[in-house]
Formats: sequence, C-alpha cells, structure tokens
Amino acid sequence: MLFAPADLTDEELELQREVRGFLAQELPRGTFVPGLGMGAPRDPAFSAKLAQRGWLGMALPARYGGHDRSAVDRFVVTEELLRWGAPVGHHWVADRQTGPVINRFGTEEQKQRFLPAICRGELSFAIGMSEPEAGSDLAAVRTRATPVDGGWVVNGTKVWTSGAHASDWFVVLCRTGESAEDRHAGLSQLIVDLRSEGLTITPIPFLSGHRDFNEVALENVFVPDELVLGTIGGGWAQNTSELAYERGGPERWLSTYLLFEELIRTRAELLGSERAHLMLGDSVARLWGMRRLSLSVARMIDSGEAPAVQSALVKEMATRFEQDLLARVQELVAVEPVGEGDSLFERLLFEAVLSGPSFTVRGGTNEILRSVASKGLGSL
Amino acid sequence: MSDWLLLDGARRLLADTCTHDVVQQAEAEGWSPAVWDAVAGAGYSSLADLEPAEALGVLAVAGEHAAPVPVAEAALAGWLLGGSVPAPVSVVPAGELRLERGLLSGTSLHVPWGHAVEHVVAVADGTAVLVPVASAVAVERHTNLAGEPRDSLVFEDAEPRAMREVACNLFERGALTRVALISGALTAMGRLTVSYAAERRQFGRPIASFQAVQQHLVEIAQAASLVAAAADGAARVPDTFEIAAAKVLASSAALTATRAAHQVHGAMGMTQEYRLHHFTRRLWAWRNEYGDEQHWAEILGGAVAGAGADRLYPTITGGSAVV
Repeated sequence: MLFAPADLTDEELELQREVRGFLAQELPRGTFVPGLGMGAPRDPAFSAKLAQRGWLGMALPARYGGHDRSAVDRFVVTEELLRWGAPVGHHWVADRQTGPVINRFGTEEQKQRFLPAICRGELSFAIGMSEPEAGSDLAAVRTRATPVDGGWVVNGTKVWTSGAHASDWFVVLCRTGESAEDRHAGLSQLIVDLRSEGLTITPIPFLSGHRDFNEVALENVFVPDELVLGTIGGGWAQNTSELAYERGGPERWLSTYLLFEELIRTRAELLGSERAHLMLGDSVARLWGMRRLSLSVARMIDSGEAPAVQSALVKEMATRFEQDLLARVQELVAVEPVGEGDSLFERLLFEAVLSGPSFTVRGGTNEILRSVASKGLGSL
Repeated sequence: MSDWLLLDGARRLLADTCTHDVVQQAEAEGWSPAVWDAVAGAGYSSLADLEPAEALGVLAVAGEHAAPVPVAEAALAGWLLGGSVPAPVSVVPAGELRLERGLLSGTSLHVPWGHAVEHVVAVADGTAVLVPVASAVAVERHTNLAGEPRDSLVFEDAEPRAMREVACNLFERGALTRVALISGALTAMGRLTVSYAAERRQFGRPIASFQAVQQHLVEIAQAASLVAAAADGAARVPDTFEIAAAKVLASSAALTATRAAHQVHGAMGMTQEYRLHHFTRRLWAWRNEYGDEQHWAEILGGAVAGAGADRLYPTITGGSAVV
C-alpha cells in the first residue's frame, strides 16, 4: 500500500478539542474576517497567542523553544486553523518550512538565534526560490553569491515572493558555484534579512489588485558566513527537502472549504434538491478521503519516512479538488460575485474566484508534481 | 493471526492460484473448484471470526487478484447472521423475498455464484435466513460485466437452516465489501499499468517517458491511494457515513482509473489474452453493486445538509460519530 493508515489517537483528538475550544473563544464567528486557507490575513498578535498555547514550532525541539511534538499534532492544529479561516499569514512560512529546515540543516548558532523567535511567533519568513527565469525549473536560478571577506555578496532578483514586504527574513536559493555536468551542483541557501542594505522590495500586485507578491532585488547584499544555511553547494538537496514540507498538508485541500461551509450555513433553501445532495455528498466524501490521505503523509513523516511521492500525489489531486469545489458551489448558487459583497459567502466567493488559479500553481505546479510522482511510482 | 501474516498469506495463495488462465476458465465455467479448494483449505472461506478490518484486508487481496470465488459473500454472510456460516455461501443482494410461517418464498436476484454455492443468506422482513440452494425451485444463471456469476434463484416455501434477526445493514455492509474489492483491483491495475508503460516502447522510448502518459499513471495512483485510505477508514468504523463516503470514492475512482488504464494500454488492453480486463471489468461491475457513487452521494448529501454548517467540519473529521 502506498500510504500509511491514519486515525487520530485519543491524545490527538484531545488536542483537536482544545484547538476548537480556543478558536471558539478567541475568534468567535462574526468577529473577524476569515480568509481562504493559507491565504488568510497576517495577524502577529494572533500568532503570538498560538505561540503561548504551544502551537507554533510544535515539532521543533524543546531546547530551541519548540514542543517536541509530532507532525500529526501540527496537522491537527493547522487543519483547525485553516478551516476556521484564522489569520495564519504572519507565522505561516516560518512554522511550516523555515523552522524545520533550519532545525535540520542549520548551525547551533542559527538554531538558537531563529528557532525560539519562530516558536514565539515573532519572526516572519518569506520564500526566496523563484526568479524571472527560474520557476518550475529551480536549478536555473541566477542569483549569485560571491565569496568576500567574512561572508558573501549576493546579486540577483527573486519574484513571486509572497509577503516579503511584511516579513523579516527569507531563505534565498542562489548559485555559489558552477558545474558543467550537474546543474544541481553549486547551489546554496542563505538566510537573508529582508531589511538588508541593497535589498529592494517592489510589489507585484495580484490580478485582483491585492498585495501579496513582490519582486525582491538584491544588489551587492552582504550576507555573513554565519547565515549560510547548511552546506555551500548543498542547496539543491536542502531545497528539495524544504519543498516536501510545502506539499501534502491540509492547506492543499482547505482553500475553498469555508466557502462550502458558508453555502450550507446561508443557502439552506438550495440544499433540498437531489442535485444539491449529490454535490454535497460527493464533496464531503472527497474532503473526508483526502484528509485521511494527507493525515497519513504526516504519519509517515513521524515514522521517519520521506513521503515525497505521496505528498506530490496528494497535492496534485487535492488542489484540483479545491478548484472543483469552487466550481460546484457556483453551479449550485446562481450569484454574480460582487466585491465587498453583503455576506461572508459573497466575499469568500469573490476572493476564491480571483485566487483560484493559484491553488494548482503555488508550491510546485501540478505538471511538475505529476512528473515528480510518476518518477516514483515504479519503485513504490 | 496478525494482520500482516494473514494478508501476506492470502496474497501469496491468491497470486499462485488466480493466474490469468484460471480466472479466464472460471469466467467461462462459472466456478473454479481449484481456487475455491485453495481458499477454503487456507481458511479464507469463512471470515466471520475476523475483525471487519481484517476481513476487509483479505477482500482487498481478493480484488487485487480478481479471485473468482465468493469470499466477499463469505464475510457478508457471517456478518448478517452474526457468526460462522457453512461455506461456500452467497448472499442475496436484491429481489423480492418474504417469510411466511418461517418459510422463505420469492425471487432473489444478482446472487454471486448462486448456482455454485451450497447455501445463500437472504434478508426478508428484517430477518436473516440461511437456505440451501438445493431448495430453490428455479436457478437461472447470469453474469455481471466481469463474467462473475450473478444468478437468479426462486424459492417457494423453502425451509431455512438458520434464522435470526439481521445483525447488520445488508446494503451498507455489501457496499463495504465492494469498496475493499475495488481498492485491491485498483492497486493491481495501477501496478500492471506502470509496468506496461515502462516496457512498451514507441518512438524509440518507453511510453512512460511521455508526460501525457505519466498523467494517466498518476491519476490511477491517486485513485488507488484515495480508495485505499477510504477503505481503511470505513474498515475501522464500518458505519453509515464512512461506508457511504468510501463507496462514493471507490465507485467514482473505478470509472476514472479504468479509463486512464485503458488509454495507457491502447489496443492491447482490449484483448482477452492480456490481464487488464480482469481488473477493469470487475471495477465496472463492482462500481454499481450495492449502490453506485450517485446513490451514496445522495444519502451522504442529505445527511450533511441536515446536520448544518457548524457540524460540517466535525463530520469530515469524526464521521458517523457526529452525523
């Protein structure tokens, strides 16, 4: 079987109850503007509250401020936050991938410097992978770090850098060497302060006009040796392992969930038909099944496996479902989406239509994921 | 017996016995004494003593090998009667049956291997009854899309050998057996298709190196994974929500994955000599048995609409415990 079976233990169910209770108390419905999954707003104060409960950096070691908990525990917390539409934006990248990557590849000094602050919800990270000429083909990055006394001087341009304008740091994938035979060699990762001298952040507005994407230009930005992440030349392998944290989690099937819930909450008059029942039933079955798959990916991580192929299979399938769910809601409800609509349903619908295409692009396009998955199928 | 030992044993036994020719012959003749003797000899002819999850594991293995014997019915019969049942036995999934003065009369339809088994279990008026096939006044042979016998049996005042209040919901448990069978068949079909795509060369290279073909392989793997996860969930909690959701996913995956597998195999997949059809034809048949994806989606949808928005997510995580 490709996937480990998944069920929650009593302790994990207790955690689920705690998170539900916390959200009902801290963020009662109607008192905040919920977001669509991981696209939800940033709120450092909310992130700090999660940190107080021990729900950031959960799987990081306690000696760095983490909580020595499992990937499944983090899954339980994350799915509740996302389905509630909670403002997870501030801590999202740091909690999901930068923290784990620094813990895995970072120096003792880096761990002490960054991990406790990540676990307190203080530091916000962005992702410095894509470039104008390097999207799906990340080995084509041109941003270059040149050795100088005490560190590196970085030149190049990163694009589609979500939240760079509101974050503190980003991990930059760059070229530190060249190899004629192996384009994956000579890549490295640097931890770069987004307020560095020589670094310019320019917005790239979304098609909706919303500010999220940025271009980050690095012109002779100095990065000290102590901020090299992992090994010089080991960037490709490190980056690949970082991508594994990006794939297969609940954020890949919950982006349009709240819209679905609001449909049921506010359009009861449409829910009595056979057509509606077919749509609701099939959609709920898919959410139930994909959640179990996604949970089993977390279980596999906890048992020391590296389920890269499984994560790619889940993300490719689940993100298509996120778009399907939006389409199904629209088929059932004949409403023209209006910006600043009267109801939460209308606002979420408006936002979902405009952000929908990104679901199957962000974190690795579905075409790349299919390629990753199909290469692994023979060996499973 | 541990789960692993049980399944490993079943896997080896069925891999050895359910060869292409044996399955082919079983379809032609309507019964395979060789497979049945092997299965019965190894103790898989009665799964009633096993936990549902273990029994369903064996059924997935049966689906993986297109085993041409009523093991699903053996499990189902045991569940309905709440204990061991003499084998070989089948179960009546449909028809019009009634119990009068303790005697069974009426027509039973789509009975798997009805002509070949010794007994059938039928549910009439809320009572599960075990009757000998020999007591049927008429037996008419039919097959499903996969060439598996689905016979009609007519009874007139047949005397049950055992009778008790039905111990579970026939249609739900029947659907659960089909989920397990489908899960196994999808696994086998995926494996077969991946290896075919790696071997078959066109334009000077294996067709698996074409991205358009890779998409099909991924789609099958996704279907198989999703259904395996669903089958596991429904086996652990064999209740209405879990079974309905799992059958929705299994029946719908049966359709999409067989389409992809046939596309990869081209004309070879349309031949009797090549094994693909043992899986695709069964998937098409099992998709409809005990309710197709629409049947169960409608039930599930009605329940979800009735439960309301606040219980939606708790239902997705908690299933039947919530809705």
